[in-house]
Amino acid sequence: MSSLVGFLSLVFAIGINFYLFLSRYIFKFQKQKFNFLIRFSSLLTLISFFSLMYAYVVSDFSNYNVFQNSHSNKPLIYKISGTWGNHEGSMLLWLSILSIFSFFFSFTKNINQNFQKLTLIIQAFLHILFGLFIVFTSNPFLVNSILVNEGLGLNPILQDPGLAVHPPILYAGYVGYSIVFSIAIAGLFQNTDDEWLYVAKKWSLISWTFLTGGIALGSYWAYYELGWGGWWFWDPVENISLMPWIAGLALVHSLMLVRGEQAIKKWIVFLSILCFSLSVFGTFLVRSGILTSVHSFAADASRGIFILLIFFIVTGFGFLVFLLKEPKKSNTLNLLFINKVSALVINNILMIIATLTILLGTIYPIIIEVLYNKRISVGGPYFNATVIPIMIPGFLLMSIAPILSWQTNKINNSKKYVLAFIILSVLVLIQSYFLDFNTWGFVGLLLGFWIILASIIAIFSSYKIKINIKFFKIINPHVAHIGVGIAIVGITCSSVFQNELDFNLSEGDKFNINGKTVLFEKIETTNQINFQSLRGKFLFDIEKNQSKEIEAGKNYYPVSKMITSEAGILHMWNKDIYFILGDQKNNEWFVKVLINPFVSFIWLGVIIMIYSGLIAVTRR
Amino acid sequence: MAWSDNNDLFWFNSSYKKMNRIIILTPLIILLIICFFSVTYLLSGKDPNKPPSALLNKNVPSFESNSLYDTKEIIRTTDIKNRKTLINFFASWCSPCKIEHPLFFEIGKKYPELYLLGFNHKDQTSDAKKYLKDDGNPYDFVGVDADGLIALEFGVFGLPETYLINEEGKIIFKFMGPITKDVLKNEIEPLL
Repeated sequence: MSSLVGFLSLVFAIGINFYLFLSRYIFKFQKQKFNFLIRFSSLLTLISFFSLMYAYVVSDFSNYNVFQNSHSNKPLIYKISGTWGNHEGSMLLWLSILSIFSFFFSFTKNINQNFQKLTLIIQAFLHILFGLFIVFTSNPFLVNSILVNEGLGLNPILQDPGLAVHPPILYAGYVGYSIVFSIAIAGLFQNTDDEWLYVAKKWSLISWTFLTGGIALGSYWAYYELGWGGWWFWDPVENISLMPWIAGLALVHSLMLVRGEQAIKKWIVFLSILCFSLSVFGTFLVRSGILTSVHSFAADASRGIFILLIFFIVTGFGFLVFLLKEPKKSNTLNLLFINKVSALVINNILMIIATLTILLGTIYPIIIEVLYNKRISVGGPYFNATVIPIMIPGFLLMSIAPILSWQTNKINNSKKYVLAFIILSVLVLIQSYFLDFNTWGFVGLLLGFWIILASIIAIFSSYKIKINIKFFKIINPHVAHIGVGIAIVGITCSSVFQNELDFNLSEGDKFNINGKTVLFEKIETTNQINFQSLRGKFLFDIEKNQSKEIEAGKNYYPVSKMITSEAGILHMWNKDIYFILGDQKNNEWFVKVLINPFVSFIWLGVIIMIYSGLIAVTRR
Repeated sequence: MAWSDNNDLFWFNSSYKKMNRIIILTPLIILLIICFFSVTYLLSGKDPNKPPSALLNKNVPSFESNSLYDTKEIIRTTDIKNRKTLINFFASWCSPCKIEHPLFFEIGKKYPELYLLGFNHKDQTSDAKKYLKDDGNPYDFVGVDADGLIALEFGVFGLPETYLINEEGKIIFKFMGPITKDVLKNEIEPLL
């Protein structure tokens, strides 16, 4: 029943969007009616999504999708997240988020009505494309042909609270770029004034903030769930989310700094199209199953072809419009040796090169396999060796970019900065001399601390310190950069100075980590609702009274007969101690302990970036 | 159309403009290249879940396994000499295996001379027996591969996996994942 409701409202919503799309050419109707229809179709799409969710919640196994991906023993939260834990449901989520964005955009006030209408028509066009994709290749409302009273279960690795919210937030970021795309195209067509730039700024900030949150959640999940001790693996799916993120970063910066320059406006349109294209391309790569990764979903060539077609239409259409319609002539670029505009241009170029480098590494295996019929994989070493050096000059520049002037080559208080940089370099050099010297460690720490220091100097020397909301809005760019600096310090320390210790232990053994005694207390097995858990209990620092307990182990999921590893992590502000329980041999357990210094800085930095993304949305 | 009144938008006279056009065209060219390779890849039927097997056209690895139903009944590599054999790795805990399961009845019915050998991979004997009782047993022989060593010899990536061995004991076909009607018709049947 709910499947029928869901399917009908999905189809009906697509029908309305088709009607709206034709309205540009055939039927003309008023703004009120137009907006009403847009909102109504959004509502229908949401009804469709929630009826699928309902089928999951009540474990309606007459729905084939629920039968394939759910199980009545699963806790409620994973039944709900099961809605988007599979291909069909996640595409429906994608479409729902698209219509939510259209819904909110239809409420934007004080903008040219023709422009708003055109934007929504482009959104309607995207809705039709993805809606037809769902109906014809990935229908989540198919009826199960066999009568069953139990489902086949969900991939247990996805049964995790972090992962339950990761896809919707990530999708909000990806799909958010659809509205930026539509705005840019509509802006090109209307070509009236620069109004669309301000609208685009707000929406691209929203998308970027969501995307940041989604990527961070995904990598935090990888950190504690995959049990490899790292948080970024240059997995194809991670790269796919990183590309629109970097391009989106370039877009946000261009939008903030544009002052009517034609070249930058053109560039903004280009980036808007690029961001959404990369999002759709990412969807294609994941959903066609063309790349293998931890996210491998069922592969199906017809789905791949269909999304590739959508990608081709969207990107081709976007760039064709870009080619044929240029923004109106206006101010020329005020490029100096070192001012805000030139810093922006340099940073944009670096970000695009980084994006293309990642793109090349991600699709290179496909090209090689087509040409030579050989299978290769491009992994961490390539990306570390190429992307990081490209980004370094950008990081150097960003530390001083916010204080550069628009018109002149002068930097206020430049002596202060030079002095601070020299002192900092000496300090970091001394620090690295006493620890083991490592070039990357040195460069990373210097960069990270320099960005933080320069931003703080800029805040104190350029503004009067006040504690009110307006002040926080003014210093927001510096705050964002401090967040990046903190994240760079965390990334450098946790990857360069990671320490690995291996032990073979029996229950009751004591061992030493960084001078602290750790007791391997016992192994415990318990039965949970949908899995059995095996946990090794460790007591950290038993000499002290408040010793901390850590549990590391594995979960066994009987329905899908899968084992997941559950790392035990002791979070401290300056390091994470990461316990992985391995296999048992002759009453001894293999225990791997990783000491990851300053991992918390990565998450702190990301939280600061998200915070300043939110502040920037409210600004103006 | 709105852009036709602006003549310099169509083609250009100065070399600067030409340069500019080429730069603007680059994304479209990249788009075409990406789409070309992706389409070729998708249409060639390549699938990352089907890595090219190192064992293809090689001799079948030697194995020895006892029957699921009778531990004294043993099957060895020599037993499948001189007849076409379809080897399928399955387990009761593997849900994609359930999907392809009915197809083996079809193959068995259509090609009675084909020897269907199933390997029960890392499974409980009771679970496996129950699975074959509930869904039926299409195999001529069900070998036990409790520790997964046979699968290791075959280079099994993940369940289910299917191999076709010819009369000379060479692996002539390998498929990862559940076989489908299409695979059966287009890839397996021509070899039978």
